[in-house]
Amino acid sequence: MQNDQQRLSLHNRAVFTHPYKRLGGAFPVKSPSVPNFHDRVHPGHSSSDPALVNDDSILSDHPTVERSCLGQVSPSEHDGNLSVIDLYGDEVESQRVDDDDDDDEDDDDDDDQDATHSDDLDLLPGEGGQHIELDDVTAGTSKSASADGVNKTHFDRYGFKKQNNYISESEYDRWWGDYSQYCVRRKHKWQLLLEKSGLPVTDDSPARFPSKSERLKRYVRKGIPAEWRGNAWWHFARGQEKLNKNKGIYSQLLQKMKQIKKQNPNEKQVQDLDIIERDLNRTFPDNVHFQSASYNKEEPPIIKSLRRVLVAFSLYNPKIGYCQSMNFLAGLLLLFLDEERAFWMLVIITSRYLPGVHNINLEGVNIDQGVLMLCVKEYIPEVWSYIKPSIDHHQQNNKTFSPSNNKVLFNMQKNEFLYRLPPITLCTASWFMSCFVGIVPIETTLRIWDCLFYEESHFLFKTSLAVLKLSEHELSKTKPRSNSLNHSWTSNTNQRNGSMGQEDSDMEIFQVIQTFPKTLLNPNEIFEKIIFKRRFNLNRLDQDEIDRCRKFVAAQRLKFKTYGELLGSATSEAELTSANVNTDAKGTHITSDAVNEALSSEVYGFKKSLAGVHWNNSIKEKVKQMRKKKDRND
Amino acid sequence: MGNSISKALGKLFGSKEMKILMLGLDKAGKTTILYKLKLNKIKTATPTVGFNVETVTYKNVKFNMWDVGGQQRLRPLWRHYFPATTALIFVVDSSTEGRMQEAKEELYSIIGEKEMENVVLLVWANKQDLKDAMKPQEVSNFLELKQNLKNQPWCVIGSNALSGQGLVEGLSWISSNSDVPRK
Repeated sequence: MQNDQQRLSLHNRAVFTHPYKRLGGAFPVKSPSVPNFHDRVHPGHSSSDPALVNDDSILSDHPTVERSCLGQVSPSEHDGNLSVIDLYGDEVESQRVDDDDDDDEDDDDDDDQDATHSDDLDLLPGEGGQHIELDDVTAGTSKSASADGVNKTHFDRYGFKKQNNYISESEYDRWWGDYSQYCVRRKHKWQLLLEKSGLPVTDDSPARFPSKSERLKRYVRKGIPAEWRGNAWWHFARGQEKLNKNKGIYSQLLQKMKQIKKQNPNEKQVQDLDIIERDLNRTFPDNVHFQSASYNKEEPPIIKSLRRVLVAFSLYNPKIGYCQSMNFLAGLLLLFLDEERAFWMLVIITSRYLPGVHNINLEGVNIDQGVLMLCVKEYIPEVWSYIKPSIDHHQQNNKTFSPSNNKVLFNMQKNEFLYRLPPITLCTASWFMSCFVGIVPIETTLRIWDCLFYEESHFLFKTSLAVLKLSEHELSKTKPRSNSLNHSWTSNTNQRNGSMGQEDSDMEIFQVIQTFPKTLLNPNEIFEKIIFKRRFNLNRLDQDEIDRCRKFVAAQRLKFKTYGELLGSATSEAELTSANVNTDAKGTHITSDAVNEALSSEVYGFKKSLAGVHWNNSIKEKVKQMRKKKDRND
Repeated sequence: MGNSISKALGKLFGSKEMKILMLGLDKAGKTTILYKLKLNKIKTATPTVGFNVETVTYKNVKFNMWDVGGQQRLRPLWRHYFPATTALIFVVDSSTEGRMQEAKEELYSIIGEKEMENVVLLVWANKQDLKDAMKPQEVSNFLELKQNLKNQPWCVIGSNALSGQGLVEGLSWISSNSDVPRK
């Protein structure tokens, strides 16, 4: 045990050490300031904006030194846990935390093992939660609030505003009271784990992590300590490897960026630069680090970094250029990593985890949505039933497919949704493009990112399935799917309003899918209700499955497109535009029939739970098709 | 079934439901307008990736409003949701004269789509609070709607999403013009 004074100074150093310094100045390009929550809020704010300085929220981002200088927190009150004060809130009673840590460790492992048997959904953020009396938390809060009178912070530990349209500040504070304790316990466990693995935790900023294991995976799933996240993400995503292969590239890109501004850039470059410029100040406007002082026009340093990262990226990968949503990815990265590392992480996300998703042709998004729909159908058919009828509706709209022709409809359902995606993918596409930034509350986003970098892209699919599964209850409250009665009688009055009945329930489903994720304040909601429960089939989903599935969907989409083109552009035109009514119904049927025939014989076969045994749906399907053909011929 | 009965009653008493698609260049103010109408609150502006959908009820009319993300390259994703739209709202940022041409091209490419044929068109000349904003009449002239739109009702209304000016006027214009018999 070090003595308190030592600990305090150690911690202070950790807090104020710039990320670059920690890495021994390994990076040639340095951002003037990377305001992450370790750092003091950049000078632009604290020195020149009285409004913000008076606002204790800023200080609270990083209250350790301020507070201890002011004597509000004497070191002795926090023995053993100084390093977590700023990020976890003053209210944390570290003494108690120390007490409950050891048995917590056991609980922890048991909890995972028990996941299968236990049907009770333990929503408490931590298993050890019961050891800490709620009174302490509330008492702690009120104590610190009264200590400096106006210490009611409106911003969370990353500088985001706590309150939004879906969560009130008091709700946030109530939840945070528990969750901050959970975070402290988790961090303690991480410290023990690293100690056991013989890895140093220098300056509260470990650069190396244990090698992958089931245990480590579980630790990651329960959340990486916030102040370690940057390094941990970098480590798990093998960022250093990428950087080493591309030494100096980032500074070259910045050079190029300067030249471009002087010379005449081509039209696309100008377009990208313009769009980036318009989005800079619209990236996290609710986060203090991204706000410029009201009377001082100067840009906050993080906005400058954001511009450089995005422009450099658009030069680095012209196939992608700039796509909205990347501003959120880069913005969040910059809160945890220095500029150059943030840049390479953006490269890694857009190439390794979300291949093609941000490309100009958008095929990557469509493929991933096709994959997601296949997974929904396979793993959560109960949710698929809410999404599926929309497809029928669309086909009815597309009058080229007569509902009476059941075979066509049947076939369409088999595969067509991979090509003509269900409308719900309008919602879920953005989940992938922005990796849940802005889709779920920030702490939840970060927990997803922890797993994304450790477990790769299949975790995004798993999370999407989990979120959809959790929303099932809300979905069940929507109006029942429309019936043909509804459809036919309104359509007499107005062609455009013809599908209003359907439209109505569609609308409600959309709103559930749009709103529900925003209420997932507590990350453990997703993890403890779904991800840690082995009884949910969706937890069988692994990276291998996603990789195969992506290939399958890509091939199917390509085939559909090519067949469409082969069988006459007129047909595919007619299929795609709903206004074009049945001019040559018969011909259309034959061709779409042929396409479907060709495509529906290939059905993706998911791996089933028995290891090594592939239950191959496609074989089953082929047999079915053959039988049908035979029947028809007879 | 219950659903269709309430619908029938709604019909008798004149309640209507319409699907409205709100489009426009990025940063025109679409999302701000939507949440001003829905919550009477100003939402801090962030780029919309994907879209927002909200129901706004005004004078017995239920507007299902779809606010679709601005960046042009993402448009093909949402394109297939164009059918069955009662009205199209096109939002322009009246303060950026430099982008008017781009907005005009975008507008004509949208109403050139088959699904958009003869749809009721409302243009909100937004950001009227800004000093250099073009007046609704100027926007209208620039877009040359009079010359080009013969078969569909259209209207340009000045708006200010922050104060809410022009928003209700727009919706009531839509509701009173969307039953115009089509050719």
